[in-house]
Amino acid sequence: MSKDSLTVKGLSRQFGSVLALDNFNINVAKGELVALLGPSGCGKTTALRIIAGLEKSNTGSVTLNGKVITDEAAHTRNMGMVFQAYSLFPHLSVAENVAFGLKMRKVAKKKRDKKVGSILELVGLGNHHKRFAHQLSGGQQQRVALARALVIEPEVLLLDEPLSALDAQVRTNLREEIRRLQLSLGTTTLFVTHDQEEAMAISDRVGVMSNGRLEQIDTPDVLYNTPATAFVANFVGVMNHIPGVRSGKSVSIFGDSYKVRNLDGGDGHVVALIRPEQLDVEEAKKHGNARVVTRSFLGASSRIICELTDGTIVQSLKPSSESGGLHPGEMVNLSINTKEVLIANA
Amino acid sequence: MKQSTTSNVDVKGALVKKGAFHGFLTSSPIALLPLFLFLLVFFLWPIGALTGNAFKSNEGAFTFSNVTMLFQDPYRMAFKNSITLGLLSGLVGAIPGLAIAMAIEKQGNQTLKKFIASISGVLANTGGVPLAFMFLAAFGPAGLVISALKSVGLDLYGLGFTLFSFTGLIIVYAYFQIPIMVIVITPALTSLRKEWKDSAANLGASKFQYWQKVGLPILMPSFIACYLLLFASAFSAFATARALTVGNIALVPLQIGALVDGNVTINQANLGYALAFGMIIISLVAMIPYIWIQNRTARWQVR
Amino acid sequence: MASAMKKNFAANLVLIVTGIFIFFPLYAATEFSLRNGAEHTHGFAAYRWIFAQSGFIENLGITLRVTSLAVVLNLLIMVPTVTWLHLSGQRYKRLVEILTILPLIFPVVALATGAQLAMPDFMQNSVYELSFFYVVIAMPYTYRALDIGLSGHPLSTITNAARNLGASWLKTLSSVVIPTIRPSILAALFLMVALSLGEFTLAQLLHWSTFPVWVTNVSQQNVIGATALAIGSLFFAWILLFGFSFLGSKNSTTVQEEE
Repeated sequence: MSKDSLTVKGLSRQFGSVLALDNFNINVAKGELVALLGPSGCGKTTALRIIAGLEKSNTGSVTLNGKVITDEAAHTRNMGMVFQAYSLFPHLSVAENVAFGLKMRKVAKKKRDKKVGSILELVGLGNHHKRFAHQLSGGQQQRVALARALVIEPEVLLLDEPLSALDAQVRTNLREEIRRLQLSLGTTTLFVTHDQEEAMAISDRVGVMSNGRLEQIDTPDVLYNTPATAFVANFVGVMNHIPGVRSGKSVSIFGDSYKVRNLDGGDGHVVALIRPEQLDVEEAKKHGNARVVTRSFLGASSRIICELTDGTIVQSLKPSSESGGLHPGEMVNLSINTKEVLIANA
Repeated sequence: MKQSTTSNVDVKGALVKKGAFHGFLTSSPIALLPLFLFLLVFFLWPIGALTGNAFKSNEGAFTFSNVTMLFQDPYRMAFKNSITLGLLSGLVGAIPGLAIAMAIEKQGNQTLKKFIASISGVLANTGGVPLAFMFLAAFGPAGLVISALKSVGLDLYGLGFTLFSFTGLIIVYAYFQIPIMVIVITPALTSLRKEWKDSAANLGASKFQYWQKVGLPILMPSFIACYLLLFASAFSAFATARALTVGNIALVPLQIGALVDGNVTINQANLGYALAFGMIIISLVAMIPYIWIQNRTARWQVR
Repeated sequence: MASAMKKNFAANLVLIVTGIFIFFPLYAATEFSLRNGAEHTHGFAAYRWIFAQSGFIENLGITLRVTSLAVVLNLLIMVPTVTWLHLSGQRYKRLVEILTILPLIFPVVALATGAQLAMPDFMQNSVYELSFFYVVIAMPYTYRALDIGLSGHPLSTITNAARNLGASWLKTLSSVVIPTIRPSILAALFLMVALSLGEFTLAQLLHWSTFPVWVTNVSQQNVIGATALAIGSLFFAWILLFGFSFLGSKNSTTVQEEE
């Protein structure tokens, strides 16, 4: 625990009749990039804003490097924050924006200029010192916002959906850049987003939130392969919902028996949560259990969308070399290539 | 989008003849002709005519004499008074107006905002006799406030205060200047993004520092623009000044009014136009920066 | 929670003080207007006074007719022009913006003297000359109201869509364009009416007896009655505006995109 930079315990926040945060706990280690992932309204931004000091919690504590900062004002916390949009002060140039935090800390002009210069080089905007926010693209603005937050060497970097307002291509590039910067500077980072691909791509750990609660926090691999709840399973990556019949610790799907991983829920009709790459497709020699709807060629892999006999649509993700012979309308045999499956209620 | 230049349009196989309405879609500026003619006849022509006559002598020759008369009393006095009235009334309206607008934003209650917006709208357009009578009822010699103060020993009128004075005008004008300020500065206030406040705090600025380095600098152009608007409004006001002062104080609008009413010798006919011309110049000096600033700040207000 | 109250304390204080300053003259005037002459009783007699004055109907009629013409002129000139600007004339917007803001720069008093000088006799002999000038004076506001209102809709896109679906130009205008811009038109006309009903300076200087001018003259004789009229029209206008502000927001809700 002593190598934890940021510790949040028992945070709760109520807005009128809505419980935005419900006993939220998280520990972020020094230099770690942790993402808070969830749909809008799940409480991730509320948690971030409380940690930043922009809002107060009803209960709980926030500890930074061993010091309790729950009651400290926002401007004394020494955290850097980047917002979704409109972060930059419109009346100041890029360089003046970046220098703002340094000015507040009374850093001498010469030192200030040097730091501003080097951080702007680092984010690739070395020639944009004199520009203003309205002269920059969305991606460039966010990079300046990043530079402004990082130049003050904050204890923690807080990112509130920094990529959500950007174009798809810019988003992909910028998220890599954020990760690169964060790693090279060793900055402890908390990153809020609703885009699961983004969170999984660059984080050390991802915390999935729903209705004010943290459902699971783990590395992307663990989250993807062994989701703890149905919500996490469905939110992270794509999930097929295949009907099956459960009795006790095993479930029957497509006539075969599999072990049930989660212990909650009862017997009877259930749905098995199966990843696309766990679903195999074979041409049916005699009878099949599904019909091919479409095959989408994605390059190295192909996505094969099939319809089961009861009308359920499922998708399989396989190397293109193995699925070339499948055509729309064909009957196929679907099978599951893992031994343990996750079950949810039907 | 390029408009088709053929005379018939093929829609769903049926030929649709373009009639007069397609002429509507022409991108030629001939569509602006009605507006332009209207402004020309009912605006530019009167203004041009009076400007021309401002420089005409009674015989019709070009002269500066009308204009030079403006620099002599009583006209010089009138301009001095009107400009001072504009400057002071502008301040009396601008500063409280800003404070009120900020308080409203802070409060945040939607119904309250609607309430204040509608009452500001009405008060901003209140003027002339109705306004004068309202203030008479409160601050006139027999007014409620005056009587109330008298009963506690403070005789304002005895001390020399009167509603029918320069000071009285400023008090009365405040009643519509402040609402105008609230209405015009509120968009600038709402355009102050929450993210700027949060970013500033996050970067280490206290509330005071935020206002000092971010909030006020961003607001300043709009504030100045609104002040100019208030100046022009007080400078040009006619109805209220007429109702309250009726000639006690030399003010340019009132002098023009007197000249227009025919209380003038033939020699002074063109003087009225010179006065009007002077009014226009001063108004231009205030309003052109106002318009320029509003245009520029619109850039970062609406994104 | 306590800090939130403290935060709003200054704001609330400002608003309360403002409230006192705003409402005090209103209160004083209302109290004054309810007085029954020299007696110390109160009643609504003063509110009935203005209606009893000879000339009430006549002058109100003049103002209403002038207003009607102003509204018609606005409809004929401003609405088609702004609609055209948004449909096909985007590149002229800048120019028109500058043109329509000009009347704001020039004081009404100046315009009055110019009008007297320049207008031909047949215009100056008719009270309807006021309508034309009212349109000019209102132009900065009516243009802006129409422009902002129309900007909220992708007019060229929806007219193209209508045309593409087979509507003739007449149909497009009547069933697509006009219903879409109707709220903006009403807003602009409302501004025109408000200005015209209360306009004093131009009417007075051009020696016309309109309702505001007549009221001013008649008010000299009965201070209580005049105050009653002032207060009455103020409250009436305010209630109208307050009501309208709710009407506007009812139609402008945006739906949140479902995740």
